[in-house]
Amino acid sequence: MKRNKIFFTLIGLLLISLLASVVGCAAQGSEPLPPQPRLRVATTTSLYDTGLWGYLEPMFEKKYNVALDILSLGSGAAFQYAQRGDVDVLTIHDKPNELKFVADGYGVERVPFAYNYFLIVGPAADPAGIKRLSPEDAFKKLFETGAGSFVSRGDNSGTQSKEKAIWKNAGFDYATVEKAGAWYIESGQGMGPTLQMASQKQAYTLTDMGTYLSYKSKLELVPIVYKGSILLNVYSVIAVNPQTVKGVKIDLTNNLISFLTSPEIQKLIGNYGVKEYGLQLFTPCAGAEPTQ
Amino acid sequence: MPEIWQGLIKAIELIVTLDPEVMSIAGRSLTISVTATLLAAVICLPLGSLIHFNRFIGKRTLINLIQTFYSIPTVIVGLFVFLLFSRAGPLGGLNLLFTPAVMIIGQMILIAPILLGLTVSAFSGVDKAIPDTARSLGASDFQTVAVVLKEARFAVIAAILLAFGRAISEVGLALMVGGNIRGFTRVFTTAISLETSKGDIELSIALGIILILIALIINIVLNRLQQR
Amino acid sequence: MPLIETVDLCQKYDRRDILKNINIRIDKGEVFALIGPTGAGKTTLLRLVDLLEMPASGKIYFDGRDATESKRVRFEMRRRMAFVIQKPIVFNISIYDNIAYGLKWRGVKKSSLCQKVSSILEMIGLSAYQDRNARTLSGGEAQRVAIARAIVTEPEVLLLDEPTANLDPLSAAKIEELITSIIHQYGTTIIMATHDMSQGQRLANRIGVLINGGILQTGDPREVFTSPKSREVAEFVSVDNIIDGIIVSSEEGIVAVDIGGNKIIEAISSYPVGEKVYACVRPENITLTLSKTTSSARNSFIGQITQVVSVGPLSRIEINCGFRLVALVTKRSAEELGLEKGRQVYATFKATGVHVLREN
Repeated sequence: MKRNKIFFTLIGLLLISLLASVVGCAAQGSEPLPPQPRLRVATTTSLYDTGLWGYLEPMFEKKYNVALDILSLGSGAAFQYAQRGDVDVLTIHDKPNELKFVADGYGVERVPFAYNYFLIVGPAADPAGIKRLSPEDAFKKLFETGAGSFVSRGDNSGTQSKEKAIWKNAGFDYATVEKAGAWYIESGQGMGPTLQMASQKQAYTLTDMGTYLSYKSKLELVPIVYKGSILLNVYSVIAVNPQTVKGVKIDLTNNLISFLTSPEIQKLIGNYGVKEYGLQLFTPCAGAEPTQ
Repeated sequence: MPEIWQGLIKAIELIVTLDPEVMSIAGRSLTISVTATLLAAVICLPLGSLIHFNRFIGKRTLINLIQTFYSIPTVIVGLFVFLLFSRAGPLGGLNLLFTPAVMIIGQMILIAPILLGLTVSAFSGVDKAIPDTARSLGASDFQTVAVVLKEARFAVIAAILLAFGRAISEVGLALMVGGNIRGFTRVFTTAISLETSKGDIELSIALGIILILIALIINIVLNRLQQR
Repeated sequence: MPLIETVDLCQKYDRRDILKNINIRIDKGEVFALIGPTGAGKTTLLRLVDLLEMPASGKIYFDGRDATESKRVRFEMRRRMAFVIQKPIVFNISIYDNIAYGLKWRGVKKSSLCQKVSSILEMIGLSAYQDRNARTLSGGEAQRVAIARAIVTEPEVLLLDEPTANLDPLSAAKIEELITSIIHQYGTTIIMATHDMSQGQRLANRIGVLINGGILQTGDPREVFTSPKSREVAEFVSVDNIIDGIIVSSEEGIVAVDIGGNKIIEAISSYPVGEKVYACVRPENITLTLSKTTSSARNSFIGQITQVVSVGPLSRIEINCGFRLVALVTKRSAEELGLEKGRQVYATFKATGVHVLREN
C-alpha cells in the first residue's frame, strides 16, 4: 500500500513536468517536438545582445518554416563550432579571421549585410585625457600614461580582433600590451558584461555602437573616441562549406543569406532601434563591402 | 538590496500572469531534470546494489572513484559531452547537440556518481542481518535486493533528491551542450546566466526565486514520503 | 534416512578454523539442541545447515540429496527450512507484512496468505497489533514475530540460534512456550543452538555438544548430563567436581580411585586397574551433614567450608576436603544447617553418583 504511494507520486511528478512543458510550449506557439527542420546559427554576442536576432528570428522562421537555433558566442568559439559542423552558418564581425576561414575552405563566401562603428567609451571625467584623439593615438596615450584603466574583451571575439588591430596600427606588439600593467583588464566575457564591468570600474573600453546604445541607460560611460577609419565594424554572414564540413544544411543557410540581404529585411535592419535610441544601430549594406 | 525586493515582485508578477516564456522555461527545466534523475535512478539503483552486494577486486577503489566524482565541475562534464556529441565527435551522427535530449544525457552523467555512491552508502547502512534473514526466509537474490532497498528507502530517496538538486541547479553543462537556445534549450539556470550578463538583474532574481520555489515544492512532496 | 546429515564438515574464516570435521545426523521430527559455549561455532554450523554459506570442505545432505550440487538446488532446499537468528530483527514495516514476507516470496495467493498470517498472529498473541510498525516492538515481541515469520512458511526444518539469549526471563519463558507449542502442533524438525544447558534439556530429544569447533558428544540430554564423555563436556554441563586420580582396584564393577592424599573415591566403572581417570560428581549429588552419617553412600569426606555463594534459590558451597568439592543445596537447607564459611561438614555421595572419565 505504501509502495503504491511512492510509485504514484513519482509518476505524478513526471506527469506534472510533462504537462508543464506542454503548456509552456503551447503558450509559445510551437509543438513539443517540432517536425520542422532546424538551422543552427552562431552569432556574435553584439548582434544577439542588441536584440536584432530576437527581432529577425520569428520573421525568418515564419517565412521559411524553419526553426532557428541561435547560439550567442564569442567569435573564437563560433569559428570552432563551425569547423566542427555543429553550426550551419555564422553571423560575425571579425574580417581577418573571416577571410582566413573562407580561405581555409571552411566557409563558402563572406557576405557582409550590415555595418556600424566601433567606439571607445569611458568615464565622463576622461582621466587619461584621450578625448577626440584618433583611436591609435588614444591607445598610445593609455599605454604610455597608464592613467586610465581599459577593459578588453579578452575572448577572441570580433571586437577583440579590432582592438588588436588598433594596437598593431599604433605600433604595439599585443603581447607587450597584455602584460602592460594593472590598468589593462581582460573580462573574458561578451560585450554587455564587458561594458558593465567598464562602467563599474569607470574604465575605458572598445565597443560596437549597437551594443553600446542598447546598454547605454544602464551605464555610466560616454563616447570618448568615435572617429577613425579603423573603427569600421562590418557584420557578415558566412555559410559553412558543405564540401569541407559534413552534415551542414546549405540550402537552409542559403535561404538565411538571401533573407538577410533582401531589400525588405535590409530596410528593417536599418530601422532597428531608431525609435528607441534616436540613432541607427546598424546600417545595411546588402552584400557589398562598405566603403568609408 | 532593493534589487531582491524588485525581483520578488517581478517573480510574483511572472507567476500570476503565467508569463509564457517563463512557463516554457519552467516546464523545460523540470522535464529535463526530472527525466534525467528518474532515468539515472533506474540505472544507478540496481548498479549500486550490484556493487554493494558483490565482492570483487578493486571494489574499494571503485567506490573511492565514484565519490571523487560527486563534485566534478559541471563544465568539465559539459565539455566531455560536447566533444562526444559534436558533429565532429564520435556520436555526432546522432545530431543531438544543442537539443534537450543531450542535456538529459549530460545531466544523467553528471548525477550518476551521486546516485551510485549514495545508493551504496544507503545499502551499507542496512543491518547485515536483514539480507541474511531475507535469504533464510527463502528470498531469491532479486527479492533480497528489494528487501534491502526497502529498508534503505529513506536514504535512497534522499540521494535522489540530492541528485535532482544538482541536475536542476547546474549551469555549465546546460550552457555548453544545450546552447541556451531561446524556446528550445533555455532552462532556468542558463536564462539567469544570460539575463545577468545582459544586466537585467530583476529578471534574473525573479527566475531564481521561481526556481527555488519549484525545488521547494518537489522537496516537500518527497519529504512527506520520507516521513513514514 | 536422516533428514539432515553432515559429513566431515569444515569451515574457515580468514584462515581460522571455525568448524572441524562435523559429523551429525538429524532425523525427521527430532528436536536437536546444539549446545556449547559462546564462540564454539554454533551459529556457523546453523548457517551451513541452512545453506547460507558454503563450507570450506565436507558435505551436507538434505533429504538424501547433496546440497552442494548447484545454487538452484540449494535455493530450493533453503526454502524448505527457516532460520531465526539470535538478535531479534524485524523489517521496517508492519508486523503483518513482516510475517507475510516469506509467503509473498513463495507466491502464495492472497486469501490463503491472509488466513495463515492471521492464525500465526493469534498463536503469538499479537493479532491486535498487526498493523503496527515492527520496529516499535520490544525485544521479546520482536523475537516472537521473527519466529512466527519463520513458522508461517511451514518449513520442514526450523533452525533457532540462541532464541532467548537476548531476552529477559519472562520473555524467554514465553518464547520457550511458543517453541513447545510449535513442536506439538507442527512436528517440525528443530535444530536449536543454545549455551543454556538446562534449556537444551527442557526442549530437546537429543543434544550435541559443540566445543571449539568440534562435536564432542551427542546423546539424549540425560546421558550427556550425567555421563559426559570428556573433561571439556563435563565442565560445560556443570559437573563442578572433576577430580583426577588413578584406579587402584576393581571388583564387580566397582572401582576405587585413588585421588591422592590417601583418599579413595568409589565409583561404578569398567575401566581397568592402573587407568588414569577423572572422577566426576555433580554438585547436586553431594549431601552435606554436620556429623558423620551412617548412610549407604560409600563416599564420605570431612572438610571445611571455604565459600558460600547464592545462586538463585540455591546455595553453592565450596568445601576443602584436602581436595576441592562443590555442593549445591537449597538455601533453606543451608540455613537450617547453618552452613557458613569455616564450618566443618561431611560431604557424602553415592558411588552411583560418580561418573568416571578416562583421561585422554
